[in-house]
Amino acid sequence: MEFTTQLLYPVDQILLAVMIFSIMFGMGSSLTVDDFKTVARYPRGILIGFLSQFGLMPFFAYGLAIFFNLPPAYAISLILIGCLPGGTTSNMFAYFARGSVALSIAMTTASTVMALLMMPILLEFYTAGFVSEISAELQTSGTGVEFVIPTGNIIGSLVLVLVPVMMGMFLRHKSPAWAKTAEDTAGFMGIIVIIYLIGTVFVRHTGLMLQTPYDIYLSAISVGLLGFLFGYWMSRLFKLSPIFQRAISLETGIQNGPIAFAIILLSFSEPYQSQMLWLAILYSSFIVISSSFITLYYRKVGKFDFEVFQNTTIHNRLFGEDYVSKYPEGYLPDRIKEDPSQGSNPGQIRSVGK
Amino acid sequence: MEHRIIAKNLADLYREAGNRFSELPAFATRKKELQWSPVSFGELYERGVNLATGLIELGVNARDHVGLFGDNRFEWILADYGVQLCGAADVPRGRDVTDAELVYIINHAEIKIAFLETTVLLGRVLKLKKDLPKLKEIVLLDSDFRAGDQYRSIDEIEHLGKKLRAKGDRRVEERIEGIKPDDLFTLIYTSGTTGKPKGVMLTHENMMSQVRGIPVELSCTDRVLSILPIWHIFERVFEIFTISCGVCTYYSSVRHLGMDLKNVEPTFMGSAPRLWESLYQKIRKNVKQAHPMRQLLFHTAYFLSRQYRNSSYFLTGKKLHLDPPSTLKHVLLAPFHALRWLIVLPVYGFFNVAVLEPVRMSAGGSLKATISGGGALPVEIDRFFNYIGIPVLEGYGMTETAPVIAVRLEDNIVIGTVGPTMQDTEVRITDIETGEVIYPNPALPHEGRGLRGEIRVKGPQVMKGYYRDPEQTEATIQNGWLRTGDLGMITFNNCLKILGRSKSTIVLLSGENLEPEPIEMRLTQSPYIEHCMVVGQDQKHIGALIVPNMEGFRDEGFQKQSLEELANDPEVRTIIHSEIKRIISVDNGYKRFELIHDFRLLEENFSNGEELTSLFKMKRHVITDKYQNLIDEMYHQESNEEV
Repeated sequence: MEFTTQLLYPVDQILLAVMIFSIMFGMGSSLTVDDFKTVARYPRGILIGFLSQFGLMPFFAYGLAIFFNLPPAYAISLILIGCLPGGTTSNMFAYFARGSVALSIAMTTASTVMALLMMPILLEFYTAGFVSEISAELQTSGTGVEFVIPTGNIIGSLVLVLVPVMMGMFLRHKSPAWAKTAEDTAGFMGIIVIIYLIGTVFVRHTGLMLQTPYDIYLSAISVGLLGFLFGYWMSRLFKLSPIFQRAISLETGIQNGPIAFAIILLSFSEPYQSQMLWLAILYSSFIVISSSFITLYYRKVGKFDFEVFQNTTIHNRLFGEDYVSKYPEGYLPDRIKEDPSQGSNPGQIRSVGK
Repeated sequence: MEHRIIAKNLADLYREAGNRFSELPAFATRKKELQWSPVSFGELYERGVNLATGLIELGVNARDHVGLFGDNRFEWILADYGVQLCGAADVPRGRDVTDAELVYIINHAEIKIAFLETTVLLGRVLKLKKDLPKLKEIVLLDSDFRAGDQYRSIDEIEHLGKKLRAKGDRRVEERIEGIKPDDLFTLIYTSGTTGKPKGVMLTHENMMSQVRGIPVELSCTDRVLSILPIWHIFERVFEIFTISCGVCTYYSSVRHLGMDLKNVEPTFMGSAPRLWESLYQKIRKNVKQAHPMRQLLFHTAYFLSRQYRNSSYFLTGKKLHLDPPSTLKHVLLAPFHALRWLIVLPVYGFFNVAVLEPVRMSAGGSLKATISGGGALPVEIDRFFNYIGIPVLEGYGMTETAPVIAVRLEDNIVIGTVGPTMQDTEVRITDIETGEVIYPNPALPHEGRGLRGEIRVKGPQVMKGYYRDPEQTEATIQNGWLRTGDLGMITFNNCLKILGRSKSTIVLLSGENLEPEPIEMRLTQSPYIEHCMVVGQDQKHIGALIVPNMEGFRDEGFQKQSLEELANDPEVRTIIHSEIKRIISVDNGYKRFELIHDFRLLEENFSNGEELTSLFKMKRHVITDKYQNLIDEMYHQESNEEV
């Protein structure tokens, strides 16, 4: 599949840049220094989250690229998406999926910082094969240029993306009320811009939607779904409590899409840029839909144990840390009976993104 | 999962709850903001049994009447356990009971032993002692005070009972077995909105039918916040219901409500319209004070929610149907609503999550439902909370029906109605003049739906009668049908809609009938008006008595210290005058005779127990008597002007 015209016009690129800026700014607005301290409170959860985010996800992306035999630019883009840290969207989904918001926020914070180190390493490792494929292609076409993953640029883009996050955190520190507004406005703008971009791309490149082979769609959708599935099972295997399982599952599947856009725009050139962007757009659109359904599902299955958790938390909040809630015989299913989190207080932060 | 206990009587219910939920908290008392002390179901039952044994020893017989005067606190429940477990009935009233009422109730109910909450109440009763020949024993609920020679403490009786139990006293078990469904569990004296107190006799079966029928599902992981007066049947039915579900009740108060909602995160509560009115005002004020961007976000969210919910109400048939629904219209409009629903859904989803969820946090964020009763909920406020996603279920009932007659269901919210009737309950709408049945009446179109009349009820919750008052009983209950004295109709989706109190109807000189409540309800939504009562019986026009809202005027920059100053400020009068003109106007759909021609500002607020009932309903006759001079002045002036 070839891109005959540019996927994004300059005006779209500006819009995209504004969106990235405001979303990252909104992300910063929702964070406080305390969130970094929270990371230390959930070492197990963070570690398992780290394993699924930087261990499982890039591996799945790589596996899908190999399995579907994707063209190299798409493969690189998919792997890039797999290596991304988590975004604030996952915190909101975790809240409505009756997962641990505190863990979700802590994971987002930790992974964003870790990404500076992990992303270049992982990209280098997984994309090597595809990079040489492109280089070979370039050699045969006779341009004589060698294709490399611009590691420096990627780190540069990551740092650049973190600037608005810092600015947001500063605003949050200065005026929590304004920060809350910035956060909501950013979320709203994110939705509007995504809808606009998909709309214009759809109108301008109707053919493109139809031309895109099914395996590209499948890989863009599957990478998130695999993240949800294995994030869940991995944390379940390690016997984390259900609210942590749901948080880790969502955090693993939902990546920070805007960072992908920033890196692609700043570090790659045409003709690969458009191909890579297209996959990132597809992922970003489908992940909203799939995580909405997953959230509705988790919300339903998690109702009972979340209510137990919440009631226990409130008992400890009001009656003292030592209070033990004793439910009637047979009321709690075996699944959560022995769960330490049902008896002690993990101090979940309740409000959306705080 | 259904968890509620179905028992034969209240004592049996208490025993069963003690067994089943033994170690779960039953009631929690607030010490500090984040320091509450719980008492478990098991402990409560055990202490209740001890107290009951002590009461039996003091000479309380089965079916005796025991006075219980006080407001929400753990010891109130303990005393109730004691009374129920020894097979007696309690006669409850709040701290705000007047001296005259105390004497009337204690003598009329033939109370030999009475629980009093505070030393203040104790002092009052001791002073009245000579008028209370039958009262033998007084027990103080407040355990901070030691027993004196004229009264006992609740601990003392509990202790006495404990010793007897240890020696093998099992009289309580015998008493529980002896309770019949038809025995009273309580005798509630209503000051009502008219006349002298009447003793409403409620039986164990009355209450058990309510426990079986309340259409809300609660389990051990729920939390109930208690804010309304416990001695009122509306709050009491929920406390008993929560006991049957193993749910902990947290005692809050009006002063701490805002904080307690956030800390306790209740999942259910009984509430009065006043509570929602003040929360509504608070949310609106917060929105108004937020910066423009936040305001815009909120209004967008609210707008989207309205579109979304209206379409889903339409599609699921939950729209209010006062006229026969037209199938043609439905078929024509359905695609439009389906389309709107689909388009709005994703955007609404985002706003619901990002903007409305934090607003819901002001009510704790976990409310599954709340039943509002004790007065009509203004439709605007009803809509507001349902649109922002706090399911306020309006209920309808009265003390005489223990109390719930009808309540909206969680999955069938028809705004503007009080929902379908409770299970096993029949409702009739009858002609006010002739008493003929309007609904259900096969001779009328749609069996009489959509026609107004007086509501009559028959069901297991209808009281046994008024204590020692066969005349009133006969006037109220005829062939098992209880006359509620309220006006209503059955809508086309089989819900009950309340249209006002038939006794409060104002008949003007011209012969026009009007219901004052809807007008008053609209006016009290103004931030400047705290209370308002419409008058005008047998006059040419209607007038209003208005208590200005201190806070509302303070926000406008009026630095007045008292209502008296405020009421005498001509500028305040001008503002309220234009407010009335703006709200109650022909443009807003009011008829000419419903326009308010004159009003008077009151220098004193209405107070609970005086001008208001404990559920904030106005006692019209009390207010009319108190301000007769102002009313006369209003109409006298008018007739002068016309001369």
